[in-house]
Amino acid sequence: MESYLSMKNISKTFGVTGLKANDNVTLDVRRGEIHALVGENGAGKTTLMNILYGIMQPDSGTISLNGKELKILNPIAANKAGIGMVHQHSRLVNEFTVAQNVVLGAEPKKAAIFFDNRKAEAEVAAVIEKNRFHISPEMKISEISVGQMQQVEIIKMLYRKAELLILDEPTSILTEQEIQRLFDTLRELIKRGKTVILITHKLSEVKDISDRITVMRKGRIVSVKDTADVDEREISKMMVGKSVIFDFAKGEEGCRETVLSLEKVSIRKKRQGHPILDNISFNASSCEIVGITGVAGNGLTELEDVIAGLQKISSGSIYHNDEDITNISPKALRERGLAYVPTDRLKRGSSLDTSVKENLILTSHHDFMKRCGVFDDNKISEHSRRLISEYKIDGHSDVPIGTLSGGNIQKVILARELDNVKDFVLFSEPTWGLDVASSEFIYEKMLEMRARGVAVVLISSNIDEILTLADTIFVMYRGRLVAGRASGPDLTREVIGEYMLGLKDDFRGEE
Amino acid sequence: MSSEGFSIPIIHNSISIMTPFLLAAIGGLMTELSGMLNIALEGLILIGAFFSVIFAAATGSLLLGILLGILMTILVSWVFGAITIYLKANVFITGLATNLLASGLTAVLSFHIFGTKGVLMFEELPPLPSLNVPPLHKIPVLGDIFFGHNVFVYMSWIIVVIAWFAIYRTPFGFRLRGTGSNPKAMIAIGLNPQNYQMLGILISGFTCGLAGAVLTLNLGAYVPHISSGRGWIALVVIYLGGKTPFGILGAAFVFGLAESFSNYAQGFIDIPADFILAFPYIITAAAMVIMSIVQNRNED
Ligand SMILES: Nc1ncnc2c1ncn2[C@@H]1O[C@H](COP(=O)(O)OP(=O)(O)OP(=O)(O)O)[C@@H](O)[C@H]1O
Ligand SMILES: [Mg+2]
Repeated sequence: MESYLSMKNISKTFGVTGLKANDNVTLDVRRGEIHALVGENGAGKTTLMNILYGIMQPDSGTISLNGKELKILNPIAANKAGIGMVHQHSRLVNEFTVAQNVVLGAEPKKAAIFFDNRKAEAEVAAVIEKNRFHISPEMKISEISVGQMQQVEIIKMLYRKAELLILDEPTSILTEQEIQRLFDTLRELIKRGKTVILITHKLSEVKDISDRITVMRKGRIVSVKDTADVDEREISKMMVGKSVIFDFAKGEEGCRETVLSLEKVSIRKKRQGHPILDNISFNASSCEIVGITGVAGNGLTELEDVIAGLQKISSGSIYHNDEDITNISPKALRERGLAYVPTDRLKRGSSLDTSVKENLILTSHHDFMKRCGVFDDNKISEHSRRLISEYKIDGHSDVPIGTLSGGNIQKVILARELDNVKDFVLFSEPTWGLDVASSEFIYEKMLEMRARGVAVVLISSNIDEILTLADTIFVMYRGRLVAGRASGPDLTREVIGEYMLGLKDDFRGEE
Repeated sequence: MSSEGFSIPIIHNSISIMTPFLLAAIGGLMTELSGMLNIALEGLILIGAFFSVIFAAATGSLLLGILLGILMTILVSWVFGAITIYLKANVFITGLATNLLASGLTAVLSFHIFGTKGVLMFEELPPLPSLNVPPLHKIPVLGDIFFGHNVFVYMSWIIVVIAWFAIYRTPFGFRLRGTGSNPKAMIAIGLNPQNYQMLGILISGFTCGLAGAVLTLNLGAYVPHISSGRGWIALVVIYLGGKTPFGILGAAFVFGLAESFSNYAQGFIDIPADFILAFPYIITAAAMVIMSIVQNRNED
């Protein structure tokens, strides 16, 4: 079959670091296929797609579509050529409605100068209808779920008559159900003759939905295959150059002493009907991984904030080693030894413009002072060298952490938090957007903590992660815990899924 | 004195007094919506005040004075914007620099051209035309309050309405707000957020030029540092007005009222003059405190 999109010999080097993000890359996509683009964090996938979408210009190389060579100078030119991109992180304006976001930049007008909101809503409604989305054009972005935001991004591109859709890691922030809905949408689009390039780290998804696969490693294309010809292990082997183990031996269960305990913790807000957190009680013990899961919007974020001391609770108590720590400050929590790997790595977990070595001492900088009150540079560098090698961080200790790949930023945070760990650590969505190898590394560290007698709390919307790691599993629905049991063969994906959707509830009526 | 005789002139005056706040705040709002805090308002007003009066005196035409004054202000705001946006300087530093530049530049030019750093009187300048519609003045209370002001007052109200339409009813307004809320959303659809931030700043140059012109042309004179904190109060007005044009109109009126009252009260209330003069600023402080309390309430 002849190629529809052909990117030839694309190279792109980033100035300061001299890093070759794309090195003579040639990508070939056929009309009507779902083409998976895979590779480790930092392999250069996003860079290649940014070039295709006109956000960046390549240093060299050509792009042709339908056999015609194109210069794509900016996203508007890409849209004109029928190329649309949905970014890794949502690019929507929260205050605007769905329709307003979709038409932004290509607004329908009335009387030559005015924005025609009614026409915008009608046109967007037509696109929604035609492609069978479930969303209403008048809703504000701030009122819709992450999965719906992604639909809006796709609608935005379809409104611009995109024929080739690029989706950069669309599934990493979606729940199981939302992912299935997205895939149904993609299959529907293919039926209508569109073409899709899909970037993802989840190899099961690659197998599930793609027709062909292009694998990138360190800026180069290492292989192109028909999906039917390879299995997940082979794909991961091509990505990292070695075989990755998927199965974990969790190891012995050890000591069990309660370290952290929440008793009837609730958060209520004025104008909100039901409590945001409703009578949450559980214990986390030493040598245990407590897994808490749920669909986004059901209180996981709030629970994360409560445990991290960033959100005051309205009622209930929290104990650490039998001492009451309800509503104490984050600083006091830190002094008691809380280690915390937050969901939001970029804003909460790190200081992006600050160097790696400085990020590594953010929570323990007092230990790096000389007697006269200034930093001991040698000690800091020494510390940073040790952690960089211990945690296999791919990055120099003096560069701003923001220039590292997602996986390596997370490793820096992990190194900082786990190096000081005492008896308790909180992980929240630790592997969002990370490649297989980085995820596996984090799982290993988590199990290592457990083996050392640390109490681990893992908040995650990824069911597989919870099933692989947790000793005790809790499910949240509408701010309440609806299940809490020891993991075991009876607790399958399906059963957990039912709890997540509120179809099952173990604690109803029990107060 | 009857209470009506007391309050109507105060309200009437407050409407004149609020005009520069209102104009500066509307322009500042445009910058604010594009995601930047415009702390150069103060300096821009001063530039507008100085140049409009000296150009008006030099050309003998109010209209030319106003136009050239505005042009100069837009020029200065362009420099401020270009350095901040395209050269990526810190907006606090460039904003403060603009304010310092304005006060330095006006003092130097004043000394160089007129030989004094003090007050410049332009007695031959015609007064600003005012809107008098005699039959309407007869409307009880309202007539006295709303008519007989200079044309800038009415122009500022028209600008409020235009600003409302521009912000909420035109593609420009959507893109401006989109820039302020999520610049990456703009980049993703191929629009350059920097251009909209620049437009936000240039519009503030326009309205601050006008605000400055009101100050000096109304007086027929230039007094050093005539902006005297109005740009800063305009910033407060933007926030107090909830970042909407009509909210700003209301907030500006409150400040106009405060200043008008303190002018009036100096005459006969037995309170230290300093305290009365500080009244508008006390209002500012109180307003900020109340606003943050209300905000905290709403979040709980
Ligand atoms: N604007 C930039 N300036 C400097 N370096 C960059 C820039 N964008 C990307 N890089 C670097 O280029 C390399 C490739 O990055 P890219 O984002 O394309 O990787 P990716 O394959 O999409 O990774 P991930 O799976 O983490 O999204 C990385 O090392 C990254 O740090
Ligand atoms: Mg990427």
